[in-house]
Amino acid sequence: MTDTPLVQMRGITKRFGGVTALSDVNLEAYAGEVLAIVGDNGAGKSTLIKVLTGVYQPTEGEIFLDGNKITFSSHADAIEQGIDAVYQTLALADHLDPAANMFLGNELTKSVFGIPVLDNKRMKSETERVLMDRLGVQLKSLDAPTESLSGGQRQAVAIARAVYHEGLRVLVMDEPTAALGPQETARTLKLIKALKAQGLAVILISHSLDDVFEVSDRVHVQRRGRRVGVVNTADSSTQEVLGLIIGAEEVTA
Amino acid sequence: MTTQTHPQPLTERLEPYIAIIGPMVMILAILLFMGAVEPARYFRTSNLNLILLDAALYMPMAMAMTFVITQRGIDLSIGSIAALSGIIMAFMIKQYGFSVYVAVPIAIMLGAVMGLINGLIITRFNVPDLIGTLAMDLVYRGFALVLAKGLVLARFPDFLTDIGRGQIPGFVPIPVLIGTATMIGGYLLLTRSYFGRYTIAIGSNPEAAELTGISVNRHKVFAYVLMGAAAALAGVMLTGKLNAIQATSAPYFNLHVIAAVVVGGTSLFGGRASMIGSFAGVLLLSMMINALVTLRIEFFWQSVASGAVIVGSVALYTWMQKKDRDGAGGIMAALQSPGGQKMLRFSALLIGTLIALFAIGGLTAGDTLPSG
Repeated sequence: MTDTPLVQMRGITKRFGGVTALSDVNLEAYAGEVLAIVGDNGAGKSTLIKVLTGVYQPTEGEIFLDGNKITFSSHADAIEQGIDAVYQTLALADHLDPAANMFLGNELTKSVFGIPVLDNKRMKSETERVLMDRLGVQLKSLDAPTESLSGGQRQAVAIARAVYHEGLRVLVMDEPTAALGPQETARTLKLIKALKAQGLAVILISHSLDDVFEVSDRVHVQRRGRRVGVVNTADSSTQEVLGLIIGAEEVTA
Repeated sequence: MTTQTHPQPLTERLEPYIAIIGPMVMILAILLFMGAVEPARYFRTSNLNLILLDAALYMPMAMAMTFVITQRGIDLSIGSIAALSGIIMAFMIKQYGFSVYVAVPIAIMLGAVMGLINGLIITRFNVPDLIGTLAMDLVYRGFALVLAKGLVLARFPDFLTDIGRGQIPGFVPIPVLIGTATMIGGYLLLTRSYFGRYTIAIGSNPEAAELTGISVNRHKVFAYVLMGAAAALAGVMLTGKLNAIQATSAPYFNLHVIAAVVVGGTSLFGGRASMIGSFAGVLLLSMMINALVTLRIEFFWQSVASGAVIVGSVALYTWMQKKDRDGAGGIMAALQSPGGQKMLRFSALLIGTLIALFAIGGLTAGDTLPSG
């Protein structure tokens, strides 16, 4: 873990009309670590990552990537700068095969008589390569529609789509294990560790403290739109984090 | 996450091919039935030619409608687009002396523009596609009536009649070539182009498509433009086939084409497209209608048959795609459930009342009034 954070959010405030969803929130994430964000419903977790991924623009506050101030006007901007997210819904088109999903909106083409034609063969081999090399996942069939895959396999396809972008440096994962059984959850956590080992900053939003303590290096606790604490996972306990979430305990960050 | 070992049940493995198996089985059924009942007249070369000629007219529209329906849309205005572009083309040729080689492309471009209007109404003004295209159907039909005022425009240059009913000696009719070419083009468009890929993505999961940066609205408009152009091409082919056009031509194009596409396994709920299925669906409907004619069944039964085929195939596909149907336990169990019982009593009441009314009417019947 280096000294300068890869991504830093400073003094982020977000208001929707009269409602303050975030007030003066700081967040730091380092390359090669998993930062978990926990908090009760309405604590501002989702708003925070939507600001980070360019979906929302902050009312106040600044975001720094590698020490440089950055501003996004859209989610596409954030992807361009190397910050992407995997949503809980995964945003997969279930009727398309995994390769089509992985390259959705970013298809590979070849030129036939000067007309760009989708290169389905190359997209398939690239998908196979990325799934194997980056995530260690091998699908039985790349021809079946995505709806026939298991929850964990679908997750792998969604993650593969994010990591295919070579410039990706920060990956936000919103409740990746919420809809999965114990086995699939274990596999997804393994994927997260693999991504961390590759030097990405992984920001994990989760309601499951078991998962958080299994994979994260640090835990950022949100409560009522504020950051109420950041703890090192190794030095902390479920009890302490739970106390922060419900407000029984205060730690100055 | 590596390999799944449990074997898939047969229905699951067949599912990807259902689209083509369904219409194929029905085509086979018609062939067998007609082979048993009326083989001499049905399987004559001239009759097979008629079937193909009829099917060819619907092929371009079925191709485009496959895209529209896959995007969870629908276009009810195609009959009127075909008639209006045909009428305008006819006026260009007959009244203003336009060359037929210019008038035909004009008609197709007009259709594309009408499709563009449909698309913009749906995406910009947020009018639901069903209402939007239904209303535009009235508008385009109205313009056709205003322009033609009940006239039948007939006798066109050879180029147009060749498009509509020309025959390559010893081979298939020219419109069949045109229709098949559009279907093949549509297949390539669906599997090899951005537009085809995004069409499936939009129908499968519009939010995901939007999130991955696909311009959902623009691709919807593209589909309606393609639909309009295909409908106008059908209008041109129809004009050539009959060597005549009038404002009331092509009245039921929309339902016929939607039926063909849906029978072919393209899902009305979006995301599932089958170009080969649409091709088979068009053939199936033409064979069915031709069979009705061959059997000397009154023309008006056509509409009954088409409707029954639409309802039957949509219900069948929905039933087959329902994953958790094993819990339901069949029709009898459904009838015995409390909800089923209530519905049964309600239906019995309605039908009983109707029968009673007929009985009263019959008992109290007096002299008949001639309508004339």
